[in-house]
Amino acid sequence: MSSADRGPGSALEESNRVVSPSSIRDGTSTSRSKPRRIHPLAILSFLALIAAWQASSIILGETVGYKRVPGLEDIFYSFIEYAGYWQGGLGAESTRTGAEPTNWGATLGLGHNTLVTMLRTITGYTIGVITGIGLGFLIAWSKIARGVLTFPAHLARMMPLLAMIPLFALWFGNSELGVLTFIAFAVGILLFAITINAIGNVPLYYRQYARSLGASPLRTYARVVFPAAFPQLRGGLLLAVAFSWSAALAAEFLGQQVGLGHVLQSALYYASTDVVALTGLVVIVFAAVTYLAANKTLAWLTRWAE
Amino acid sequence: MQGVDGSGTDSQNNASGAAGRPNPADDHPKPPEDSLPPAIELRSVTKTFVLESGEELTAVRDASLTVARGEFVCVVGPSGHGKSTILNLIAGFIEPSNGEIFVNGKPVEGPGPDRGVVFQRDTLFLWRRVAANISFGLEARGVPKQERKATVERYLKTVGLKDFAGAWPRQLSGGMRRRVAIAAVFANEPDVFLMDEPFVGLDYLRRAQLHKVLLDLWEEGGHRAVFMITHDVDEALALGDRILVVKEGRIVEDVEVGLPRPRSTYMITGEEASIIRRSVVLHFGDLEIA
Repeated sequence: MSSADRGPGSALEESNRVVSPSSIRDGTSTSRSKPRRIHPLAILSFLALIAAWQASSIILGETVGYKRVPGLEDIFYSFIEYAGYWQGGLGAESTRTGAEPTNWGATLGLGHNTLVTMLRTITGYTIGVITGIGLGFLIAWSKIARGVLTFPAHLARMMPLLAMIPLFALWFGNSELGVLTFIAFAVGILLFAITINAIGNVPLYYRQYARSLGASPLRTYARVVFPAAFPQLRGGLLLAVAFSWSAALAAEFLGQQVGLGHVLQSALYYASTDVVALTGLVVIVFAAVTYLAANKTLAWLTRWAE
Repeated sequence: MQGVDGSGTDSQNNASGAAGRPNPADDHPKPPEDSLPPAIELRSVTKTFVLESGEELTAVRDASLTVARGEFVCVVGPSGHGKSTILNLIAGFIEPSNGEIFVNGKPVEGPGPDRGVVFQRDTLFLWRRVAANISFGLEARGVPKQERKATVERYLKTVGLKDFAGAWPRQLSGGMRRRVAIAAVFANEPDVFLMDEPFVGLDYLRRAQLHKVLLDLWEEGGHRAVFMITHDVDEALALGDRILVVKEGRIVEDVEVGLPRPRSTYMITGEEASIIRRSVVLHFGDLEIA
């Protein structure tokens, strides 16, 4: 009996322990992990943290004209302060014109500043990812360039980024371009170093195999080396999400007139620790959302990985 | 037609005589012209590596051999004695320090699609589904889409994985992955197949199944030359037309396996096979076991 007549019987026998053809067509697989549940201790520790915060607020009280640690109630009621960060319109006048702060105005103020920071973060992140990974791949193409630039790239990654902000302000002024460039730099330099490292770790036999199948060096690089290195970039791409939020807030803190960084700067000026805390919470929520979105996207992109 | 001329070769031995020295080409279609160059030819090839310590290590010493078109040659020998280095030299992954290598009469200058390599390691592209893995070489060589699709379907059917075309490699068992790797190389239709312990780590039954798959593919592909490294003498007896023994960088034995095809378990455990097995195994040394 020829193999062509034999059919896939033997493979199907093997498949009982692995995955069935129908589950492949359905896109499901037995090897997929179940969604993780939150451990009860995690909830307990979160509640303990809130309790400790509140206790600190009560114990420390109002010591020097402002609360060092604002209580939960202070944070909740500080929401109205965001009305001061709304420039007017959409049914809510600016408080700078003497209008009374309203919850609608505060909602618009918080929404606007959050949106601006988020757009800056996403734009800067995207530019940083493209340039960092792109440059990494371009340079790693050459063995010599990789050897020469790997060490300086790692050095650059260790640069104190916050100390670079004044330099960026000097180069770009307090412009939108300066903020975006700074975020892109923070993300790009991290991913540049990680990309070079990831390419260096792609096993030689992948390249040899591709070449023996007739792939040109360029095709081998684009179709084999790049995807083979991609799972190693995943950690860096997620780390860069947190980096980009920090960089956006830091850049806004030093001179922008709108954005959550600007809110933080103003709140600190007026010693409004409650607004600082609320803004911090907003940043945590949105940073977590973008992190989860990035994680989900990357998990899908690397769904083939073992 | 074929032979080993390297220094240290133990001449054509008694086992060959016992096996009746049949011409492997008798069982397979003959090349159209006798004047065609051999599939693989090594002329006094030596490969020396310089270690980090500065010391030199000669992995292959003055090896000469020819593999005829359509011949299935198995290479056995102790680990670290140069078998894989010879294969890597033929594949063009490394260059010889001395000597020349030819494939179908053309000098080897780097890797190329005329030499399909099945690696000991799992080299499947994890980011490509099974069908896309098999079509990689065809895409690289610019084969039209329709032709590619038909070829992939044919090979998937041959290796019994028709229903797994859309699976990711991670969804397959070790044996199934080996089938895909072999199909991907055969689908590319190289002139010679180089295999470095392709069935290592699989149990006896899986190996036997894959031997059948391999021989079916070999048959379907028109009996192109195969140069396969194995640690398993029984595997060499089951598959090979010839068995080469490599020891300390030299080809020290070249035995023709005269067993007719298809070969059964009875045949490869029979008297004729035992004589060949003994002549091969004795090159590993007279080990005292237990």
